[in-house]
Amino acid sequence: MNEPILEVENLTVQFKAKTKMFRSTGDREKWKRVLNAISFSLRQGETFGIVGETGSGKTTLARTLVGIYKPKDCKVTLYGKRVDFRKKEGILLLRKTIGIVFQDPVGSLNPRVTVYDIISEGIPVWEKLKEEQKAEKVREAARLVDLPESKLESYPTELSGGEKQRVSLARTIIGGKKILVLDEPTSSLDVSIQAQILNLLIRLKKELSISYIFITHDLNVIKYMCDRVAVLYYGQILEQGNTEEIFEHPRHPYSSDLVAANISFSSTTKFSEVQESGEPSKEGCVYKNSCSKRFASCDNEPPVIDYGKGTVKCWLYSNMRDDRGNKMER
Amino acid sequence: MIDSIQRRDKLSPNLLEVSNLSVNFETIDRTVEVLKDVSVTVGKEEVVGVVGESGSGKSTLAQVIVGVLDIPPARIMGGRILLEGKEILPHPENKVNFRGKGINMIFQEPLTSLNPVYSVHDQMEEAVNIGHPKLEKKEKEAIIRKSLAEVMIRDVEGVLNVYPHQLSGGMRQRVSIAMVLVQKPNLLILDEPTTGLDLIVQRKIISLIMNLKKEVLSSILLITHDLAVAANMCDRIYVMYAGRVVESGKMRDVLHDPKHPYTTMLKNSEPEGYANGAPLKVSSGAPPDLRHLPPGCAFNPRCPMAMDICRSKVPELKKLADNREVACWLYE
Repeated sequence: MNEPILEVENLTVQFKAKTKMFRSTGDREKWKRVLNAISFSLRQGETFGIVGETGSGKTTLARTLVGIYKPKDCKVTLYGKRVDFRKKEGILLLRKTIGIVFQDPVGSLNPRVTVYDIISEGIPVWEKLKEEQKAEKVREAARLVDLPESKLESYPTELSGGEKQRVSLARTIIGGKKILVLDEPTSSLDVSIQAQILNLLIRLKKELSISYIFITHDLNVIKYMCDRVAVLYYGQILEQGNTEEIFEHPRHPYSSDLVAANISFSSTTKFSEVQESGEPSKEGCVYKNSCSKRFASCDNEPPVIDYGKGTVKCWLYSNMRDDRGNKMER
Repeated sequence: MIDSIQRRDKLSPNLLEVSNLSVNFETIDRTVEVLKDVSVTVGKEEVVGVVGESGSGKSTLAQVIVGVLDIPPARIMGGRILLEGKEILPHPENKVNFRGKGINMIFQEPLTSLNPVYSVHDQMEEAVNIGHPKLEKKEKEAIIRKSLAEVMIRDVEGVLNVYPHQLSGGMRQRVSIAMVLVQKPNLLILDEPTTGLDLIVQRKIISLIMNLKKEVLSSILLITHDLAVAANMCDRIYVMYAGRVVESGKMRDVLHDPKHPYTTMLKNSEPEGYANGAPLKVSSGAPPDLRHLPPGCAFNPRCPMAMDICRSKVPELKKLADNREVACWLYE
């Protein structure tokens, strides 16, 4: 496939647990590490999926990529240029190229201005367009996302959930962004509306030749939309690779638990086994407390192992011999 | 005539029978028809699903059955609900208290259905008092602990002494399931029991309910927007659209051969398999606004097969083979 346009290496984000009160209730750390050494790359025209449960750091990752949060440590390369998060130029470079669509369409649209104003806000100021040119661009963006022109004069509260998400999309694509970060773009929508938005995303990708970073907890959507997938758990990527590979042959115990738990029309696993899960671990492998295949090595930080079609962070494969990792020495 | 109706009620094999239920929501300036002529039955030891998008009236249906609907603004315009042959709506027979042991409900958001100012233990105790009013205190305590263990809570003593907000979403839902279990209801209504929960937790809660169903509970009425969840749990389903039942039948039949165009669309909307860039088969349009329903069949603006008659007359539910029903002019 094409060259990577976005490369993220060792992205680490931590939040400060500021007050003493916070620290005394839970863990006594001063810093809460939300993302831990995340590395992935995005290629031109690709949809890269990030799947994870509540608290896995999905949204933090999305927000860091558009410069809302500052990472502690990282090496981010965008179209061959190193992004410096500490400098204004770095953040500007990010924001020129990467757009974001938030999960909550109600909270991300200003209720006091019209849809026209919301969309035109996405036009970069340096383009210095005249009013007519602006109007032309807004209408063009609305056409691209299938938003009727009559809706341009309404306010966000008058729109349905699907229409709000279309407005969010229009506001992002009008600035000519090349990469869109979609943070749970369909999770608050009805299934039939979700299907319409997914179709719209598939079409926009072809028409505008953009790339997506698709963040969701819904495995069926990931399976349908993404070329490659990363499985995020408690701030770490446990496995990433080709979507089909991960769904058909999940290597990490967590990925296989996820795939087994997924409910679809064709799901065959019976509802019988109820396995108890534990808290994410702070030492060694994060998943060791819930893992069914735990053994002695899991108390140490697992290595990231490349198996050709992807990588997996698990001790099970540290001396992998065959493709499925069944026969190995412990 | 009256005799024959009563005799039929006695012989009825159904646990719950909702017939021709209509509910309006009335405000100062308008009246909205939320349920229109809805008939639903739940047999003994059967899992029945009610599936629909937002605004289909599925949650209102559940609330009417349990009797927690706010009246007003809601107003029951007609219909009858029988539980085990006894009328509970419009006139409860002998003032029978059907909640608790008769019908019980698990709500979508356990944080709002559990009381925030009482500990888990106190709320469990209240439930046990309904389920087993005549037992000694010691026996009641034992039942509380046993039922919490049944829902796969490991640290029972720890959970008993905390308040709902201190528990995670999955644990809260388990506590509310445990509370229902000690009352041993004949009919359990689940209103979107796993929406908003993580995937693995969702799977566990569903497994738990299905396992317990085998042992303790008799019948389940599942309210959900997710056809895939219904497909994995239910024996029979009702598909609702804009306050009406548009299709019903055995789960397997409906899924493999949907009759109503809406059911077909709902099924096609679920992403399934690897797309590699292929779009989903779904028509434009949004779920209905109950305040401005189109004339005729409410689905006609989104229906790919809409005919002239669909825009003028509402189709009646028509019986098909295999105990199926569909409300669509295509089958007249």
